[in-house]
Amino acid sequence: MTIIGADVAPVEIDEPIIGDAPAIDRPWIVLVWNDPINLMTYVTFVLQKVFGYSQEKAESLMLDVHHKGRAVVSSGSKEKAELDVFRLHEHGLWATMQQD
Amino acid sequence: MAFGFKRTIQVKGPDRFIVNLGQQEREVIHNVCQELLAALDEPDPNRNPVLRRLFPVAHTADEDINADYQEMVGADLLQSRREVIARVAATTDQRELDRATLESWMTGLNAIRLVLGTWLDVSEDRPPDLDPEDPTAHSWAIYEFLGVLVGIVVDALAQTA
Repeated sequence: MTIIGADVAPVEIDEPIIGDAPAIDRPWIVLVWNDPINLMTYVTFVLQKVFGYSQEKAESLMLDVHHKGRAVVSSGSKEKAELDVFRLHEHGLWATMQQD
Repeated sequence: MAFGFKRTIQVKGPDRFIVNLGQQEREVIHNVCQELLAALDEPDPNRNPVLRRLFPVAHTADEDINADYQEMVGADLLQSRREVIARVAATTDQRELDRATLESWMTGLNAIRLVLGTWLDVSEDRPPDLDPEDPTAHSWAIYEFLGVLVGIVVDALAQTA
């Protein structure tokens, strides 16, 4: 039985192998890109509908897309990002995903 | 777009919308839906350059992610497009629409704008001043009409969101 604080002989442990491992934990982000066809009100409404964002938040993201060329609209696991991208594509928005 | 003094879309409640469009506008919508459905039924529609905005890539550079994504959702995306456009085509004559159908109109008419806009090579600039004899003048007119209509549909849905 291990007793907390008991003197125990130090054990050599191998350094954990890092490398690609941290990449797995980095979240994925979903970007929406500016395009000349989709209406600004349409983009705002789709962001509200797909993500449940307030009108203020959706409009602020849409304006980022419009003025800066793109905006991060969601983030999370790879699976969540894929689903978000799919739903945005269903609505005709130009969306991509990448690891942050 | 005013027809008499009635709004193009009258909001009667969160699930009830009256569409005040003339027969000619309804025919235009029906025809472009049928054209897009026919294009989607061609083999490999995702390789048709005019339809490229309907089948976007999931990553700007990573071809592995794009291939995975295409394999995973490509068929679903095509099926979803077909269903939405077919629903619009089937309801173009209806005067009253429920919310789900009006949302299909929004997404479906927007998909048609994406295709027309790709074909017309639309940019952020104002549309060109076209000669009425220009071969693209008709498509520009439909593109502009659908833009106004999608805006009206979004307003009606947003009012009752």
